[in-house]
Amino acid sequence: MSAMSAMLLEILVSLFLLASAFFTLAGSIGLARLPDFYTRLHGPTKATTLGVGGMLVASVLYFSARGEWLSLNELLITMFLFITAPISAYLLAQAALHLRVRDVSGGADKSKHPGQ
Amino acid sequence: MTLLLIILFPLLGAALPAVAVRWGRNASAGAAAGVTAIPLALLLFETPRVLAGGTIEAGWRWVPAIGLDLTFRLDGLGFLFALLILGIGLLVILYARYYLSQRDPVGRFYVFLLLFMGAMLGIVLSDNLLLLLVFWELTSLSSFLLIGYWKHHADARQGARMALAITGGGGLALLAGVLLLGHIVGSFELPVVLRSRELIQGSPLYLPMLTLILLGAFTKSAQFPFHFWLPHAMSAPTPVSAYLHSATMVKAGVFLLARLYPVLSGSDAWFYLVSGTGLVTLVFAAYVAMFKHDLKGLLAYSTISHLGLIMLLFGLSTPLAAVAGVFHIINHATFKASLFMAAGIIDHESGSRDMRRLNGLWKYMPHTATLAMVAAASMAGVPLFNGFLSKEMFFTEALELHQTGTLWWIVPAAATLAGVFAVAYSLRFIHDVFFNGEPVDLPRTPHEPPRWMKVPVEILVVLCLLVGIFPAYTVAPLLNVAAGSVLGGPLPEFDLAIWHGFTFPLLMSVVALSGGVLVYFALQYRFNLHMIVQSPSPGRRFYNRGLAWLTGLSEIVTGGLQNGSLQRYLALLVTVILLAGAFPFWQLGWYSGSRSPGMMDGGSGVAWLLLVVSAACTVIWHRQRLLALVFVGVTGLMVSLIFVRFSAPDLALTQILVEVVSIILLLLALYLLPQTTPRESSVTRRMRDAGLAVAAGLGAAGLVWAVLTRPQDTISGFFLEQSVPGGGGSNVVNVILVDFRGFDTFGEIIVLAIAALGIYAMIGGLRVERPALDPARRPWAADSHPLLLRVASRILLPLALMVSVYLLLRGHNEPGGGFIAGLVTAVALITQYLASGIAWTEARLRLDHQRMIGIGVLIAALTGVASWFFGAPFLTSAFAHWHLPVLGELPLASAMIFDLGVYLTVVATTMLMLVTLGKIGAREEV
Amino acid sequence: MLAAAITIALAAISLAMLLNLWRLLCGPDLPDRILALDTLYINTIALLVLLGIHFDSLVYFEVSLLIAMMGFIGTVVFSKYVLRGDVIE
Repeated sequence: MSAMSAMLLEILVSLFLLASAFFTLAGSIGLARLPDFYTRLHGPTKATTLGVGGMLVASVLYFSARGEWLSLNELLITMFLFITAPISAYLLAQAALHLRVRDVSGGADKSKHPGQ
Repeated sequence: MTLLLIILFPLLGAALPAVAVRWGRNASAGAAAGVTAIPLALLLFETPRVLAGGTIEAGWRWVPAIGLDLTFRLDGLGFLFALLILGIGLLVILYARYYLSQRDPVGRFYVFLLLFMGAMLGIVLSDNLLLLLVFWELTSLSSFLLIGYWKHHADARQGARMALAITGGGGLALLAGVLLLGHIVGSFELPVVLRSRELIQGSPLYLPMLTLILLGAFTKSAQFPFHFWLPHAMSAPTPVSAYLHSATMVKAGVFLLARLYPVLSGSDAWFYLVSGTGLVTLVFAAYVAMFKHDLKGLLAYSTISHLGLIMLLFGLSTPLAAVAGVFHIINHATFKASLFMAAGIIDHESGSRDMRRLNGLWKYMPHTATLAMVAAASMAGVPLFNGFLSKEMFFTEALELHQTGTLWWIVPAAATLAGVFAVAYSLRFIHDVFFNGEPVDLPRTPHEPPRWMKVPVEILVVLCLLVGIFPAYTVAPLLNVAAGSVLGGPLPEFDLAIWHGFTFPLLMSVVALSGGVLVYFALQYRFNLHMIVQSPSPGRRFYNRGLAWLTGLSEIVTGGLQNGSLQRYLALLVTVILLAGAFPFWQLGWYSGSRSPGMMDGGSGVAWLLLVVSAACTVIWHRQRLLALVFVGVTGLMVSLIFVRFSAPDLALTQILVEVVSIILLLLALYLLPQTTPRESSVTRRMRDAGLAVAAGLGAAGLVWAVLTRPQDTISGFFLEQSVPGGGGSNVVNVILVDFRGFDTFGEIIVLAIAALGIYAMIGGLRVERPALDPARRPWAADSHPLLLRVASRILLPLALMVSVYLLLRGHNEPGGGFIAGLVTAVALITQYLASGIAWTEARLRLDHQRMIGIGVLIAALTGVASWFFGAPFLTSAFAHWHLPVLGELPLASAMIFDLGVYLTVVATTMLMLVTLGKIGAREEV
Repeated sequence: MLAAAITIALAAISLAMLLNLWRLLCGPDLPDRILALDTLYINTIALLVLLGIHFDSLVYFEVSLLIAMMGFIGTVVFSKYVLRGDVIE
C-alpha cells in the first residue's frame, strides 16, 4: 500500500469516526434534552444507531486495510443493531403507551385504552 | 487378584438380582446365589494353601498420601470368616427365597444382602486398617438397609436407625482409634502393625487408642451397655437376623479384636476392659433371654450373651482362651443361624413368634422341631453337640485364671451361672414352643414349611453334629490355622475331644445342665413365666432421651442461626467475612505496595462514575424493585466494560451474559411478587446494615489497593507460559478452566446440574394464578406476542446460534468457550420463548432439558475417564495440531470435548431454570 | 490525524454516556429509564469499537457483539414485563 493511499485511508477512517461520534452524541443529547418520552425515543433509536453503524464502518475500513482479508466481523454487529433497533423502539413505545406516559402536550395518550 | 474378585463379585454382582427379578423370584435368588457361589468356589480353591499355613496377599495403591491402599490378605482367620460369610450367605439366600412373601420386593432384598456380604468380606480380607474401616462403615450402611427392609413397619425403621446410630457412632470411635494406632506405628498396613507390639503397648497413647477401638468393637458386637440395638434389629426379616446376628455383622467386632489380638492383648487394660465387658454381657444377656416371650427376642439376647462369652475369652489373653474364642465363633455361627432360621420357619408357618401362644407345635412340624432341638442343644452346651466343646474349653480357661487373685472364683462362678441361664433359655425355646400344651389362638394352623426352606437348616444342624462328635476330623485343621493367625505365634497344645475324664470343667457343665433344667421348670411352673412382663430396656430409654436431647440442641442452634430472615443471614455472612478479612490487616498492618496503580484515563473515569452512581441508585431505589433492576443492569454493563479495560475479555463476555440471564430470571420472579419492598426494619437496624456495608466496601477497596500496588510477580506468568505447551490452547482462561483446573469445572457443572434439577423438582409442577391487572390496576396489554418481535426473533436465532458455535469452537485459543457459548445459546433460545410463547416454542424445539443435562455431564465425565485408557490420571488433556489440506492448521485438544460437555450442561441448566420459572405463571394451555 | 479523531470521538461518546446517565437519573418514567439503559448499551458498543481501533486489537469484537445482543434482549424483557407482566408465557 502506498503512502498516498494510506494517507487517504486514514482521512477516510477519521472522517467516519468524527461523523459517527457526532451522530452518537446527537442521539444522546436528544435523549437528554427533548421534552417528552415520545420525542426522546427518536434520538437514540435513529441517530445513535446510525452513529454506531458509522463507527463500525470505520472499523471495517481500518482492519481491512491492515490485514489481507476484508474484515467483516463488524458487519455482523451492524446487522444485528439495524435489525433490533426498530424493534426496541417499537416495544418501548408500546410500553410507554401502556403506562400512559404523558406526551409534550401534557395529556396522557387516551386513544390506547378508551373508557378506563 | 483372587482376593479382589472374592470381594468384587458380591459388590458388583449386587445389581444382578435386581435385574433378574423381571424373570421371577427364582431367577433373582438364582442370580444372588450365583454371585455368592463363584467367590465361594474361588475361596475353596485356595483352601490347600491356607491350611498349609500360607498367607495370600495382594495389593494396589490407592491413596498412598494418607496411607490408604487397596491391600488384601487371606490368612487363617480371614479364611474362616470368609467361609462363614459366603457359606452361610448362600444358605440364607436359599432360605430367603421361601421366606419372603409375594408382596416383598425380592430383588431389593438380594441387592442389600449382597452389598452387605461384599462389605463383610472386605472387612475380613483387608490388609490395611483404613480400608478395613471403609468396609466397616459399609456394613453399617448396608445393615441399615437390611434391617429397615420392611420400611412400612415403624419398628423396622426405628430398629434400623438405632442400629445405624449405635454402630455408626462406634465406627466413629473406631476411626479415631485406628488413626491413633496408625500414628503410633507410622503405618496402617496390618503386617507392619502386627509386628509393633512393644511399640504400641509402650506408647502413652495406648490406653485412649485401645478404648476407642474397643468402643467400635463393643458397639458392633452389641456388648453391654450398647447391646440394646440388637434386640430392636429383630424387626428385620428373619433371614437378615440369621445372617447378621449369627455369622457376620455382630461378629465384625469380635473379628476386629481377633485381628488385633497379637498387638493389643496381654495388657491389664485389655484384660479388665475386654473380659469385664464380656463377663457382664455374658451373664446379663443370658438372664434377660430367659424372660423374653418373643422367639427372636430370646435368640437376640442369647446372641448378645454368646458374643460376651467370645469377648471374655479374648480378654483372658491366654493362648488357649483365644483358641476357644475362635472355636466358639464357628460354633455359634452354625447353631445360631440354624436357630434363627427355625424361628423364622415357625413364624412363617404359624403366624406368631410369641411363646405364650406357640405351644405344642411338635404335632404339627416334627421335622422342624427335631432340627431346632439339635441346634438348641448345641446352644445349651449339651455333650455331643459342638457348643459343648467350646464351652468346656471356656470353663477350663476360666479356672486357669490367675490375674484376679483372691477373687479367682468370680469368673468360673459367673461362667457356670451363665451356663445355667443358657440351658434354661434353650430349654424354654424347645419346651415352650414344641410341647407345653396346645397352641393358643394362632393366626394359622401350623404345618411343615416347603422342602427347600428346611435344607439350609439341615445342613447347618448336620455341621453342628459333625463338629460336636468328630471335632478332630472336621473342624480341627480350620481351627488350627485360624487360631494360629490370631495368636500370630505357635499354637498351644490342645485336645479336641469330647471326653477328658472326670474334670472340674465337666462338673461345671453338669451343674449348668441340671441347674438350667431346674431353673426353667421352676420359672415355668412355680412363677408362671408367661405372666412375667419385662419392662422395656433402659438402654432404649437412654437412647431415645439422648436422641431427643441432641435433636433439641440442634434445633436451638439451627433456629438461632437460621430463623428464615434473609437479612439476618446476609448480615451474619458479611460480619464473618469482615472479621476474617480484617484479621490479616490487623495482624500485618495496612499494606500498600511500592508500585503505582497508574492513572485513570477519561473513558474509565466515565465508566467508574456510571458504576458508582448506578450502584448508589440501586440502593436508593431498592424498594421499587423494577427500577432497581434497571440500575442493576447498568452496574452489570459497567463491570463488564471494566473487565474489557483490564484485558479480561472472557470475564467481560461471561459478565454481560450472566447479567441478562439474571435480569430475565428476576423479572420472571418479580411478576409473582409484590412490586415494592415494604419498609420493615427499624432505623437502628438500617444504620447497622449501612455500617456493615460501608465497612465491607472499604475492606474490599483496601484489598484492591493492596493488590494493585504490589509488585507484579504473580502466578499468572506461570499460566501464560504453560498454556500452550501444557494445554494446547492460547486462551489461558479457557485452558485453566477445561484443563489445568478441569476437575474444578467438572465439579461446578455438577453443582449447576444439581441446582437446576433442584429448582425443577421444587417448582416444576407449581402453578400460580397470574395477576389479572398490572401494578397500576390496569389490564395488561392485549397483544401477548407482538408480530414485529416474533419476526425479528426468528431472524436473530440463526445469527445467535452461529455466534455461539463460533465462540465454542475457538474457545480454546481465543475468548469464548463452553460456558460462554452455552449461555449465548440459552439466551438465543429463551428469546424464542419471549417472542413467541411457551406453546409455540416447545412445539418446535423438543429439548429434554433433564436428559441434556445428563448427557452434558456424562460427556465431560467420559472425557475425563478416557484419559485412564492412556494411563494418565482423570481429565488429563491430550492435544494435537492437525494439518488439513484446505483449512490449514487445526488445533484439537481433548479438552474441547470436555468443553462440549460443559456447553451442553450450561445450555440445559439455564433453559431448565428459566423455563420452569416461566411456566409458573403461564396460563393453562387450552 | 487518526489519533486526534479517536480522542475527539472518545470524548464525544463519554459525554454521550454521561447524558444517558442523566436521563437514567431523571427518568421521569420507567420507559425513559429503559431507553436510557438501551442507549447506554449502544454507546458502549461504540466505545468498544473505538478502543479496538485505538489499540489496534480485535479482542473487543466479541464483547461488542454480545453487548449488542444482550442490550436488545434486556430491552425486550423489560418492555415485555411492562406490557404483559409475564415475560415467558
